[in-house]
Amino acid sequence: MKLLTANRLTDGLVLWYVEGSDLSGWTEDAALATRLEDEAAALLLDEWKARETEVVAPYLVPLIDENTLVKREYVREHVRANGPTAGQTAFDTARQHQRGEVF
Amino acid sequence: MYQYDQFDHAMVAARNAEFKDQVERRLKGELSEDQFKPLRLMNGLYLQLHAYMLRIAVPYGVLSSRQMRTFAHIARTYDRDFGHFTTRQNIQFNWIKLADTPQILEDLAAVEMHAIQTSGNCIRNTTTDQFAGAAKDEIDDPRPFAELIRQWSTFHPEFTFLPRKFKIAITGATRDRAAIRVHDIGLQLTDKGFDVYVGGGMGRTPHLGHLIKSGLPGDKLLSYLEAALRVYNRYGRRDNIYKARIKILVSALGPQEYARQVEEEWATLDQAQIDAPHAEIARIKSFFPQPAYAEKPFDVASLERAKAADAGFARWVRNNTLAHRRDDHVSVTISLKPTGLPPGDASSAQMDAMADAADRFGYGELRVSHEQNVILPHVAKADLYELYRLLDQNGLSSANVGKITDMIACPGLDYCSLANARSIPLAQDISQRFADAELTDKIGDLQIKISGCINACGHHHVGHIGILGVDKQGEEFYQILLGGRADEQAALGVITGKGLSAEAVPGALERLIKLYLELRTDETERFIDTVGRLGREAFAGALHEPA
Repeated sequence: MKLLTANRLTDGLVLWYVEGSDLSGWTEDAALATRLEDEAAALLLDEWKARETEVVAPYLVPLIDENTLVKREYVREHVRANGPTAGQTAFDTARQHQRGEVF
Repeated sequence: MYQYDQFDHAMVAARNAEFKDQVERRLKGELSEDQFKPLRLMNGLYLQLHAYMLRIAVPYGVLSSRQMRTFAHIARTYDRDFGHFTTRQNIQFNWIKLADTPQILEDLAAVEMHAIQTSGNCIRNTTTDQFAGAAKDEIDDPRPFAELIRQWSTFHPEFTFLPRKFKIAITGATRDRAAIRVHDIGLQLTDKGFDVYVGGGMGRTPHLGHLIKSGLPGDKLLSYLEAALRVYNRYGRRDNIYKARIKILVSALGPQEYARQVEEEWATLDQAQIDAPHAEIARIKSFFPQPAYAEKPFDVASLERAKAADAGFARWVRNNTLAHRRDDHVSVTISLKPTGLPPGDASSAQMDAMADAADRFGYGELRVSHEQNVILPHVAKADLYELYRLLDQNGLSSANVGKITDMIACPGLDYCSLANARSIPLAQDISQRFADAELTDKIGDLQIKISGCINACGHHHVGHIGILGVDKQGEEFYQILLGGRADEQAALGVITGKGLSAEAVPGALERLIKLYLELRTDETERFIDTVGRLGREAFAGALHEPA
């Protein structure tokens, strides 16, 4: 199971793929990201790699199950999903979430 | 400061027009990302974790108030109202839209700035002493030579695609405030010419630069640099990105053999075609005059009364001012390290306030330091209290320069796509833990430098206490290095103890500092000197909770 993420070409902001959306398939809200089966995720990745006028550098984020990120990916993807933790008491953001929980 | 001539204006305008066209073609889909990426990087535009980041060159850290106001305008108009001053004396904006970039570059060109060569395997912005032209201990002003190097290295066709990026630092004072020994080439200006250090650097394999030539005349600088770069360009490792910096080549050849090859190459060059004629050096020097100093009567008693009445002001004068070549002036460092906030960040309002301060009290001049602070190099002592009050009203009066809370920290995993761990929140935690000004004064001079990955943008190798963020099976961990320093007695810190979690670092530093305060001979012995006297092993145990 995987999530598909990328940056929007025009402003670079982080996007998450969401099925059935009327927002061209993408949202800035990571909480809405669709959990994709591996095979479907791979096909979508190839499709969006070819659509370079919309998004940049798409890639897949692996999940252990629909609510748990692979631990190795957690911190980076958590920061991507929620924005910089700078300005908050250090690491409070991370502590608010059980490690590995999506997001 | 240097002012663009017609060629500078024409070159920057042509590059901006070219990049504007490239951006338009990318947005229309006429350029792929693979085709566009090297083009945007050549213009300082990175795609980071959250958005595009634009890195703007501040040539050798020298800024006018007008340029600072342009940064404020960019922050306000195109970004999220702040910018980040970097360890390369540059500024980065973290939330830039691709389509806005051509207009931003036009705005910059209007104040004689650009983002060219802030990325890529070329010669980057030359850095120097932030107190150049002002410091009492200065032998000669390095800025004209930094400008000479800037002109020589910008668009240098032979050195546009080096094996890796290349960084030059230059100082003209007895105290090295430019960290020259950890640069690819470090230049020490002496009364006999330049001492040339080569092969320093941090990153994955840190090295201190080796002295390969002494007494190089200033009017031979460019041809010698050309020879040094040519040997590197020819033999540097292009097959392995981790071994491509000049430090690896110098280490492999040995400094003596590298120096011999440089001399051999130098002898073959048509030096007269490369070196700037005396008249050109004199012309460039003429752009860096001393300011028209105001003759303001300075009353010592009045300053002492203000200090006695305002403890914050007294601390600020003690910690944030440096002796100036004129007795009635000082250099002032504006700390961008307020308690609990990201090191090196400034809001647009703060940038405007610093520009105002420069215009009212600093002859319109500012500098960016590699310690991520901003400097007013020339301030009359008579103006100090009024300046302090202006800065204080704008959250810019932190009196901690050179102290434990005056940390360098890279953007880390909060922004950087290369990082393994966060730097800024850790710096914030440490800053809050040591927020007591009495305590920081008691601790004295101490430099903490934090990097979020092995690339060492936060200079952790040369922190008195260095902190390196690593990824350990999905967890952020931090290795502590002790004993590093970037000054004229440069040394590389050594990893001490086991890696710590983020939560454990501030407590570990508290124990370390407590032990230092117990062990130091007296309050004049700095932390780095105590570590040097007793060895870092004496401190290793303090990093971990007692069993």
